[in-house]
Amino acid sequence: MAAASSSDSDSGRAESSEANSKWLDAHYDPVANIHTFSACLVLADLHGDGEHKLVVGDLGPGGQQPRLKVLKGPAVLTESPLPALPAAAATFLMEHHEPQAPALALASGPCVYVYKNLRPYFKFSLPQLPPNPLEQDLWHQAKEDRIDPLTLKEMLESIREKAEVPLSVQSLRFLQLELSEMEAFVNQHKSKSIKRQTVITTMTTLKKNLADEDAVSCLVLGSENKELLVLDPEAFTILAKMSLPSIPVFLEASGQFDVEFRLAAACRNGNIYILRRDSKHPKYCIELSAQPVGLVRVHKVLVVGSTEDSLHGFTHKGKKLWTVHMPAAILTMNLLEQRSRGLQAVMAGLANGEVRIYRDKALLNVIRAPDAVTSLCFGRYGREENTLIMTTRGGGLIIKILKRTAVFVEGGGEMGPPPAQATKLNVPRKTRLYVDQTLREREAGTAMHRAFQTDLYLLRLRTARAYVQALESSLSPMSMTAREPLKLHAVVQGLGPTFKLTLHLQNPSTARPALGLLICFLYNEALYALPRAFFKVPLLVPGLNYPLETFVESLSNKGISDIIKVLVLREGQSAPLLSAHINMPVSEGLAAA
Amino acid sequence: MAEERLATRTQFPASAELQKPRLKKAPDFPILEKQNWLIHLHYIRKDYEACKAVIKEQLQETQGLCEYAIYVQALIFRLEGNIQESLELFQTCAVLSPQCADNLKQVARSLFLLGKHKAAIEVYNEAAKLNQKDWEICHNLGVCYIYLKQFNKAQDQLHNALHLNRHDLTYIMLGKIHLLEGDLDKAIEIYEKAVEFSPENTELLTTLGLLYLQLGIYQKAFEHLGNALTYDPTNYKAILATGSMMQTHEDFDVALTKYRVVACAVPESPPLWNNIGMCFFGKKKYVAAISCLKRANYLAPFDWKILYNLGLVHLTMQQYASAFHFLSAAINFQPKMGELYMLLAVALTNLEDTENAKRAYAEAVRLDKCNPLVNLNYAVLLYNQGEKRGALAQYQEMEKKVSLLKDSSSLEFDSEMVEMAQKLGAALQVGEALVWTKPVKDPKSKQRTMSTRKSASFQQPLGSNQALGQAMSSAAAYRKLPSGVEGPSQLTKPPSLPLEPEPAVEASPTKTSEQIREK
Repeated sequence: MAAASSSDSDSGRAESSEANSKWLDAHYDPVANIHTFSACLVLADLHGDGEHKLVVGDLGPGGQQPRLKVLKGPAVLTESPLPALPAAAATFLMEHHEPQAPALALASGPCVYVYKNLRPYFKFSLPQLPPNPLEQDLWHQAKEDRIDPLTLKEMLESIREKAEVPLSVQSLRFLQLELSEMEAFVNQHKSKSIKRQTVITTMTTLKKNLADEDAVSCLVLGSENKELLVLDPEAFTILAKMSLPSIPVFLEASGQFDVEFRLAAACRNGNIYILRRDSKHPKYCIELSAQPVGLVRVHKVLVVGSTEDSLHGFTHKGKKLWTVHMPAAILTMNLLEQRSRGLQAVMAGLANGEVRIYRDKALLNVIRAPDAVTSLCFGRYGREENTLIMTTRGGGLIIKILKRTAVFVEGGGEMGPPPAQATKLNVPRKTRLYVDQTLREREAGTAMHRAFQTDLYLLRLRTARAYVQALESSLSPMSMTAREPLKLHAVVQGLGPTFKLTLHLQNPSTARPALGLLICFLYNEALYALPRAFFKVPLLVPGLNYPLETFVESLSNKGISDIIKVLVLREGQSAPLLSAHINMPVSEGLAAA
Repeated sequence: MAEERLATRTQFPASAELQKPRLKKAPDFPILEKQNWLIHLHYIRKDYEACKAVIKEQLQETQGLCEYAIYVQALIFRLEGNIQESLELFQTCAVLSPQCADNLKQVARSLFLLGKHKAAIEVYNEAAKLNQKDWEICHNLGVCYIYLKQFNKAQDQLHNALHLNRHDLTYIMLGKIHLLEGDLDKAIEIYEKAVEFSPENTELLTTLGLLYLQLGIYQKAFEHLGNALTYDPTNYKAILATGSMMQTHEDFDVALTKYRVVACAVPESPPLWNNIGMCFFGKKKYVAAISCLKRANYLAPFDWKILYNLGLVHLTMQQYASAFHFLSAAINFQPKMGELYMLLAVALTNLEDTENAKRAYAEAVRLDKCNPLVNLNYAVLLYNQGEKRGALAQYQEMEKKVSLLKDSSSLEFDSEMVEMAQKLGAALQVGEALVWTKPVKDPKSKQRTMSTRKSASFQQPLGSNQALGQAMSSAAAYRKLPSGVEGPSQLTKPPSLPLEPEPAVEASPTKTSEQIREK
């Protein structure tokens, strides 16, 4: 229990002591090795002795070793391997005999395994789906060798594209084969009848004809072929079959099968369908714009968690009642029912390790778990009425007991203005110097303004002069003398220390090619190194752009940069035709090193 | 298509060959959908690593035939930003089950995300043939048409979507079309309906509030923004807008408290710091005001409204040289606003550059159509320069504007301005008389300080029915629109339909700031 106390102090730090005091930490095992979903957690009095056990359909680490675990207190009571991964677990009363010990149903693959007294009792398999008659016919022909594999393939292909009933696995496999393998495949498989099997995706229970807590219940199964099945609790025959537009993921049932019931199925297409007793098809449809991650019914309100990090409340007719936003992604949801106080609330395990408890949209309580909680279950465990079971992403098991004095009140969570409102604004400070300058400006504003204007005019004048001078001494990158029109444009690439300098030289004249030109680089040799500082330019055909590339090595490691001058000269003339000043960038390669 | 099948097959040759020769008796094939539920559960929990592991296992076992595994793999790829890969996988899914509208929808969505809107529309139309009554198809078709700027078609599709099933997102897109077309009233109508349908959607509430704000219907704007804040007290768009409304009512302390929340959420928002600056200005803490405005200016150097406010504050601080620089910068970005030239003229007057001040006033008078203050200030300057005839002309111009304003709205004039106008009127009528030489001097000296303050006090857009006494708040009010404008341009995109076109709602001045924000 040392670990439990540490988690207590952990959560105690994070929230108010008043809210924290609602729970007692009973057990925390960070390495319990339980990997499961809320659907596979059940609390039940399996032996009818009043001692409630925890049944876990465990997927095993990485979903590799599916096991059925039964826990009593903090210890594992029994553990048995399962043939396939469990999709859902449920307990239900099969008949009304005394002593009442509920049966345990475990849905896995296409079967439901029913245990009584923790011993295997019955195995229910979903009925085979009717195969496509055309497909069956084709394989029949193949069996009698009346059809060759290639035709078979073509026919199957055409069925796949059009038919309502999908092909069996056998045909699909066949369609993937190479020509050479077909023959062998047909011979090997032709004698088999084609089968189509489906898988159970979710399961829940529905009272048969009485609303009592200890009344007989039916199992309701959701399958991969978009159907809902209601099973008879004794004979395991199919009492009712309903079809859905999509594959069910979560199921929620209320009412009694023989009287009136409602089934809500959250489906993979992001919709929730609501069915009633006398309808084979959904009566109402709730369209979420995101995938549902949990479905819980609280009294008459359907609470749906969505992947958009929010809880939505809907009426049983599909009208939206409210929305609450969560601070993190919802991982799992379940119902919290405190019978002694008649409280029903929704628990949601979030990715940030919180478990939030809501009654409608009011936050009642926040539990901070040491790890993200991936499955939740609340109910009677052992002899304790209100126990919360949580398993974490890392395979840990947390058991908390609700204090008998604890009363959930609204506003137990966050309320009032957001905490950011209490932080002070970070207003930039001004220095003494600034204030002094302000005062000076007030006194001598006019003089400053005039001085500034004068300087501005001077600056403009000098710029203009420099420009004229540059034009006169061909320092510009454009040479527009009538005889030698030339255009130069330079690009520096790279981060350094080596840069690539590309000079784009163009002869914009209409007819005359430019001959006998030279390029010369002038630079500070302490800072830069160039392979050739002086070279000849090839003949420039009018109109074409000549990129001339050279590498520049920066020698300084002090992060300084300099100007490289490019001069374009004519052979035999000392004055350059044009020139360019390239501002080299600071070598980032060295700055980083 | 054949290639793709080949490709998926060749991915797992080892397992295929291992199985075949060993088993003499025909083996039972594993059910393809065996672990679909597990894949889905991992996917909705956003546990993508676990999900990928199961998918890999499942695909190996079924030799790439498990459609759902490929489907989820493609979804994950898309979430990870590998849209091209996801598109290819969705196409594989569409090959595996050609009758399924979902696969086509996803193919279209990936195309949409890749910016191939026309191709996406084609695929959506294909999907619509398979599933007639899907709001999502209609909605997405509408969004594609918006991108192609075919607003009529887009509207039709979105209305279809609403007809099938009502979703907030569809309302938002429909509203955006109207905003893009510049039809504020229709947009408001749509958003009203949307809010009625989903009264707790803060985004809808905020947008509606901002639209009302833009139209100057303050009561409704405040109502909707207030509602948005009740549901989400940290909604910074709504806070900025309500804050600026509080500023117009001189409720600076409350506004500042509200801004703290925004300062936590978006500490680098230029309009936020501008508004905070103007709050301090209202509280006469000028140094803090300048600090905040300078920060805003640092964050958005091309926003003329911040420069305008900086100019205003510096004028108040009698730092005319600085004010001149900020105002001339603002004019460079926004050369079409009379008030800016007027402020510049005030600065120039105080810098004793009367010639340029006159030119600035002339420009201001030319550009301005309804602000009597421009003419009054000009008249005062002319009068002080002894040009009584010019002053008289401006005075008459001012009177015209005043009477126009009186007719059109119940605006109350600033008392200081009225007083000044009366004085000037008196001075002009008896200006020839020597008796008035003395009083003339008085307004002259007074004019320096006054005109700055006054000029400030009328920067509020006329025609609004707010009784604004003070300069600062009005300047903040000016900023109000842009602060609201920031909202729509920074909308957080709903995940299932990203990249809506930004609404080009605003009139030209606000647009400038909007564009800057996007850079």
